[in-house]
Amino acid sequence: MRAIYLMARREYLSYVATWGFWLSLLAMPFIMAVFIGISILAENAQPTRYYVVLDETGTGFEALIDEELNDGAKEEAIAALRGVAEAAGRADAIPAIEAAINAEPGLEGFPEAVNALGVPVDISAAQFRSNYVRVDPPAETIDGLRPYLLGEQTLSIDGEQHPLFAAVRFLPGGEYGITAEYWSTNRTSGGLRTSARDALRNHVRSNALADAGISEAVLGRIYAMSPGITENSPERGRESSEVNLADRLPFIVGIAFSIGLWMMIFSVTNMLLTAMIEEKGNKILETLLATARYHEILIGKLLGLAAVSATFMLVWGGIGSGGLAGLQAFAVAADLPAADILSAVFDPGLLIPAIGYFAVGYLMYGTVYLAIGSLCDTLQEAQSLMSPMILVMMVPFVIIMATIENPDSLFLQYASWVPIWTPFLMMARLQTDPALIEMIATSIGMLVTAAAIISLASYVFRQGSMGRANASSIKRLLKFGKSGNA
Amino acid sequence: MTETILSLEGVSKRYSGQTAVSGFDLAVNRGQITGFLGPNGAGKTTSLRIALGIIKPDDGKVRLFGQPPKAAVLQRVGFLPEERGIYKKMKAEDVIIFFGRMKGMSMPAARKAAREGLDRFGLGDEAKKKIKEMSKGMAQKVQIIATLAHDPEFIILDEPFSGLDPVNQKMLEEMIRDEAKRGKTILFSTHVMEHAERLCDQIVLISKGRKVFDGDVPQALSQVPRRVIIETASDHDLKPIVGALGAVEAQPAPEGLKGWTIELAAGSDAQDVLKACVEGGVRLARFEPMRAHLHDVFVELVETSNRETV
Repeated sequence: MRAIYLMARREYLSYVATWGFWLSLLAMPFIMAVFIGISILAENAQPTRYYVVLDETGTGFEALIDEELNDGAKEEAIAALRGVAEAAGRADAIPAIEAAINAEPGLEGFPEAVNALGVPVDISAAQFRSNYVRVDPPAETIDGLRPYLLGEQTLSIDGEQHPLFAAVRFLPGGEYGITAEYWSTNRTSGGLRTSARDALRNHVRSNALADAGISEAVLGRIYAMSPGITENSPERGRESSEVNLADRLPFIVGIAFSIGLWMMIFSVTNMLLTAMIEEKGNKILETLLATARYHEILIGKLLGLAAVSATFMLVWGGIGSGGLAGLQAFAVAADLPAADILSAVFDPGLLIPAIGYFAVGYLMYGTVYLAIGSLCDTLQEAQSLMSPMILVMMVPFVIIMATIENPDSLFLQYASWVPIWTPFLMMARLQTDPALIEMIATSIGMLVTAAAIISLASYVFRQGSMGRANASSIKRLLKFGKSGNA
Repeated sequence: MTETILSLEGVSKRYSGQTAVSGFDLAVNRGQITGFLGPNGAGKTTSLRIALGIIKPDDGKVRLFGQPPKAAVLQRVGFLPEERGIYKKMKAEDVIIFFGRMKGMSMPAARKAAREGLDRFGLGDEAKKKIKEMSKGMAQKVQIIATLAHDPEFIILDEPFSGLDPVNQKMLEEMIRDEAKRGKTILFSTHVMEHAERLCDQIVLISKGRKVFDGDVPQALSQVPRRVIIETASDHDLKPIVGALGAVEAQPAPEGLKGWTIELAAGSDAQDVLKACVEGGVRLARFEPMRAHLHDVFVELVETSNRETV
């Protein structure tokens, strides 16, 4: 036991007691934070875009487009205030918030909605206001507007020069009596184009309904109708049967755990391989073997790297949990259900199987990687033996990604019976409540296979460590197998 | 009564049908320096690995301190393998502490041993240096210190002199003598006979996996005939004069001289040859009794073994 402990300790410290380890450990959350930060900044830093409307139909499409753009801004404002209300335990204020904002054409009702919330918030209406601003057209035709659209001429707005982003032209004709053209050099920002299209569709449909004898008042009431549907669970009583995000989170977390498990095992076993090749190259094994036995070296290495991965998980888990709570302080993430996510992540029903699957998966793949490492003196030599292993390991990842929205897929169910994939795929299926007998049977299959793989890999490790087998031996063995089959 | 520290009895090991060691016996007694000699591929390293329990023999019995070579008994052994290797990214002091602790030392004791060992080998200032930043010779010294850190009773050194410069070879020889004086039992393999001749109380010679000699240095030297080289300034034929004392062969000689080699028969010595020459009126220009060396013994016994195998 002492030799195992000392081997594991040395392996662990050889990683953890280096600057590089902590830099890479902290780099991941930092990169994630930078990625999220850049996305938020990019979202908030969109420039004001000036556009014009040429309405040759005299319908008043300027106002209709404004209304569409305002509706989008109002939806975002309501979502943000709803998130704050739920987080602050003021869900009762949500109807009043919605009413206050929907009472006005634009975001004029925002201050009143904040009052209804009754909680101080660091959110202003300006954050949700559309960045599309309509201006009077400097010319009445597309040809006249062309120099502005091409940037050859600019618009003078409040004493400053600005480019014209787009022009929307409505003209009589076509199947529905009105057609629309969207003119812009920008091919990516489609918000205005969508709003213009929606304004036209709504107008055409309203006209059709009016022609059918439906009055404007009735139409107004119809458009105000917004029936919803509740999702309910038959497992619960009628009073509390409604399913919400907190109920869906375990499925999402289960899949995330499964992917995380795969990534962790994949990266840690690669670390094992590198460490083993380095040890083989440095010819340390014989010195170690005069002190410790093969199994002590093998187990020590596995435990050392398992501790490294535990450090990864603890640090990332801590940063993730802290970051999740901290993120709620930002308006854009105010509706993030941090408490629900954390409770799903730390659910023992998910966490304990995850630890078990990680342990078995890690031992299974870890010993194979160590055995491969013991056969090779260089990483290049190892690569030829690694290719089939990588393919085998990629399959469960591909299956998880393909069935990400359908964790009860039959294909996933069958694939989870393959013992070497069970740790990843059963993890993904766990929240779909697979039958107990299936859980037990796949676990037995997985454990028996793991024992066989560990035993075989340990034998190869012994041969490889003493130089009695190498990468060429395995290749010869495979060739012999092929010729034997032929 | 002499205590046997290591005994191999009738040990055999085959790899893929090829014999590495066959019916090999070895006994290393407490307090002795035993030289384990043999040409490359003779089975020395395999025998040492079997002695340490690193590999299991196909046949035969191994006893280390009277027990099978299990992990517990290995703590009394210090082993320097032929293929040198230590953790290159670790500091010199940490390497020694690690191996010391693997041999059962406490952290403070291992640290103390590391500092003392490094000072003893003149590496006191390099304690915090990583192995990869050291020269090959320095790294080898660190490994030797790590081998001895736990003050083992039995020290096994597999080709310890290979890769060391003459100064460090001398230092290692002194270290082996010092350890022997402290009552340690030492077994080292080598194919450099000078070291063995200078250091060993007992010599074991192995060739093609079989033991071809086991005894002390004088016994080993007696395995090859002693010779006398003579050059004469007279025309005497030496065969009738000294033929009774050994085999006489003519040899090339400088102009005006005649050269002879006499391989002394058992019971004869160089003085008898000199006396016979003087009595025979031979005018001697050169008379040189040649002392046998372990190198000759090695070559003779290995070649004999090879001939017998063929």
